[in-house]
Amino acid sequence: MSANPSNPESRIQATSVLRYPKGGKPSIIANEWQVWHGATDENAPQNIELNIDHQQKVLVPFAWWLSDGQTQAKDAGSAVAKRIQDKTIGVWFAADDDILKHAEVIEAGKSIWPIVGADFPIFRDGRSFSTAALLRERFHWAGEIRAIGDVLIDQLIQGARSGFDSFALRADQNLDVALQQFDLFTVTTQNSWRDRRSQLDSQLEQIQ
Amino acid sequence: MYKYDYIDQTLVNERVAQFKDQVERRIDGSLPEEEFRPLRLQNGLYHQRHAYMLRVAIPYGLLSSDQLRTLAHIADKYDRGYGHFTTRQNIQFNWIKLEESPAILADLAKVQMHAIQTSGNCIRNITSDAFAGVAADEYVDPRPVCELLRQWSTLHPEFAFLPRKFKFAICGAKEDRTILLCHDVGISLKNNSRGELVADIYAGGGMGRTPILGSLIKENLPWNVLPSYLTALLRVYNRFGRRDNIYKARIKILVKALGPEEFARQVEGEWASIKDGDDNFQQSEWDRVANHFTKPAYKSAQSISRQDLIDNAPAHEQAAFARWLERNVKAHQVAGYASVIFSLKPHGSVAPGDATTEQMLAIADLADQYSFGELRVTHEQNLVLADVEQIQLLELWHKAKAQNVVLSNIGLLTDIIACPGGDFCSLANAKSLPIAKAIQERFDDLDYLHDLGEISLNISGCINSCGHHHVGNIGVLGVDKDGEEWYQITLGGEQGNHAAIGKVIGPSFGAEQIPDVMADIIDTFVKHRTADEAFIETYRRLGVTPFKEAAYLNRSKESATGAAA
Repeated sequence: MSANPSNPESRIQATSVLRYPKGGKPSIIANEWQVWHGATDENAPQNIELNIDHQQKVLVPFAWWLSDGQTQAKDAGSAVAKRIQDKTIGVWFAADDDILKHAEVIEAGKSIWPIVGADFPIFRDGRSFSTAALLRERFHWAGEIRAIGDVLIDQLIQGARSGFDSFALRADQNLDVALQQFDLFTVTTQNSWRDRRSQLDSQLEQIQ
Repeated sequence: MYKYDYIDQTLVNERVAQFKDQVERRIDGSLPEEEFRPLRLQNGLYHQRHAYMLRVAIPYGLLSSDQLRTLAHIADKYDRGYGHFTTRQNIQFNWIKLEESPAILADLAKVQMHAIQTSGNCIRNITSDAFAGVAADEYVDPRPVCELLRQWSTLHPEFAFLPRKFKFAICGAKEDRTILLCHDVGISLKNNSRGELVADIYAGGGMGRTPILGSLIKENLPWNVLPSYLTALLRVYNRFGRRDNIYKARIKILVKALGPEEFARQVEGEWASIKDGDDNFQQSEWDRVANHFTKPAYKSAQSISRQDLIDNAPAHEQAAFARWLERNVKAHQVAGYASVIFSLKPHGSVAPGDATTEQMLAIADLADQYSFGELRVTHEQNLVLADVEQIQLLELWHKAKAQNVVLSNIGLLTDIIACPGGDFCSLANAKSLPIAKAIQERFDDLDYLHDLGEISLNISGCINSCGHHHVGNIGVLGVDKDGEEWYQITLGGEQGNHAAIGKVIGPSFGAEQIPDVMADIIDTFVKHRTADEAFIETYRRLGVTPFKEAAYLNRSKESATGAAA
C-alpha cells in the first residue's frame, strides 16, 4: 500500500534525508525517523502493536492512529502516551487518506506530532502534493512535512513548493543531484507555499 | 500578441536547462526510461513508431511570423522538412533525436516558445478561438485570460502529476469554435450586466473512450478569482480522480460518478477556504497582459461587398476567387478587414495539417505583408491570417496559391481533421492518413463539395480521439480486430453551440470500403436534403436510419462484420 511495488528500494528506510526548511537552504541530514507501515498484510487483525524500539522515533500510518493510536494514547501508561511525551511519534498520510475528513484529529495532532509524512506510493502519483498543500493552507501546519515512499529527484521541486520541507528519497537516488534541484528555477508564475509568484515582485516585473 | 517579460523568458530558459539535465541523466543511465517517461512527456517528447516526436505548444493558437520561421527551421534542421499542426493548437515534429531535443527547445526559447506541458498528466496547452480578438461575433476577447492562465498553469507544482491529462479551452464568442464542451474544463467568458468580465465554468467534458459533454458547474465567476477556483477544482480532481484504471482516470469519470451537482458542491467547499487568497489575479496583472492584446493599427477603410471583390478579379478567375471568398474568408470586427484561412488540406497529397519548411517560410512572409506579422492555428489544423485588408484579398490569394494553401474547402467534406494515426503514432490501432487521402481523392470535385455545403469529417486512428471523431458530423475511428485495421463510422457529431457526440452506425468497415461508404452516406443526404439544408440538419431531421441502411446496403455480411461495434 505504501511503496512502488516495482522498486523495492522505495521501502528501504532512508539513512539520510534532504531537509529544506522554508526560507532556508537544502541540506542532507541523518534520518531520525523510521517509517512504520503497520499491518503489511491486509488481512491482519486489528490492534496491531507498534513493534518499534521505544527509543526510535517513528512515523505511524495515519489510519493506524485513527484505529489504534489515539485510543492507546488515552492510557497514560501506554507506549504511545510515552512516545507523545517524548516527542517520538508522528503520523504519515497515505495517498488516499482524506485528511479533510479528520480535521479534528489533525488539529489535535499539531501539539502531538513533531513531524508528519505523506506517502508517494509511486512517483507519478501526485495526490500527496495536495495533501501537503492542504496541511499548510487549511491546517496551518507549521512543523515538518516529509515526503516518503517513491520519492525521486525530479519530484523535489513540486514537493518543496507544495508544502514539503523534507524528503526521504528512494534509496537509489543521488543526493548530490537532488540538492542541486532547488537552484534550477529563480522565478515562478503561480503562488505556492514557499513563494509568491514572481509577477508580484515589483523589481522583477520592471526588468525588460 | 503577448511578448515574454523577464519572468517568462527566465522560466522557459531555466526549463530548457532542467530538461537538458534530465536528458543527460537518461543518456548516462542514471534515470531509467520508466521514470524519464513522464518527465519527457511533460516537455512534449513522445516515443513514436520511428523516432521521438516533439509536440510544441502554440498557446491559444497564436503565432508570430518569426515563431513560424523558427518552426520552419526546426523542421529543416532537426526533422524531415515538415511539421504537423494538431487538433489542439500544437505543432508536432515526427523525426526527432532524443539527444537533440534540448537544442531544439533552446532554439524555441529564443522566439518565446516551448513544449512545456504539451503532454503528460498535467494541465495541457490552453486552447482558444482561432479568431479571438477579430471575430465578428465576439463578446469578449479571451486572449488575456488565456495568457494569464497559461502563466498560472505553467509548472504548477501541485498539479504536475494528476490522475490523467487535463485540457482547458477558453472562448468568448457567440459561436463556440473551441469544442468547449469536450474539454476537462471549458471557460466561457462574457460580460455581465454591469459590464464586468465573468466566466461560466463547464467541467467533465472529453472525448476518448467515454465521450461526454461537459456540465455547467459555475456561473458568473469573476475573472480575477479563476486561479483560486481552478485550484479548488483541480485539487478535488487530483485527490479523488481515479488512478486505478487509465481509462477511467479523466475528470469526466469523476464528474459523472459524483454527478455534476455534487462535484460542483465539492469544488465550492474547497474554494470557500481559498477564494479570498492572494492566488487571485490582481488588476495590475490584467493590465500588464491585456496591454499586449490591443488592436493592431488598422487602416480606416470601407467595407467591401463580396460582389465588389469578385468583380475586381480578372474574369477568368472570378469563379474560383468567389469560392475562396465564400469558404476561406471570414467576417471581421473591423470594417474593410477579413480573416483568411489557409487550407492545409490539399486533396490527396499530404496529411491534413502538414506544412513544409518552404510553406511555413512563405506563409510567415505573407503574414508580415498582409496581417501584421501574426497568424493563428485552428483546431481544424489550418492556418489563419486574421487581419487582412479586404482590398488586398485578391493579391494575397494569388501569392498564397503558389504555396498550395488556397483550396476552397474550409468547412467542407475534404477539410478533414485527422490525427497522424498508425503511420506515426505508437498508440494508434489503425492508419488515418490513407483514409483521409482516399476520401479526398474520391471527392475531388470542388463544385460538388460546395454544393454539399458544410460537413465535418473527423478521423482518429484510435480511441484516444486526437482526430476528434466524436464531434465530426461524420466520424471515422480506426479499430484493431485480431491485428487487422477496421474503421467504425459515427454520425451526428457536432462542435460548436450544438455540440453533440456522434452515434456509431454499426459494425466497422475495411479501409478499402470507406470511400464507397462515404459516398453512400453523402448520396443519402443529397437524396433527402431540402433546399440548402446542411448535412447535420438533415441528419437531425431524419435520424440515423436512412444513412445506416445506405451504408450497409449491398455490403455482404462478411465484409461488414469486421467487428461488432
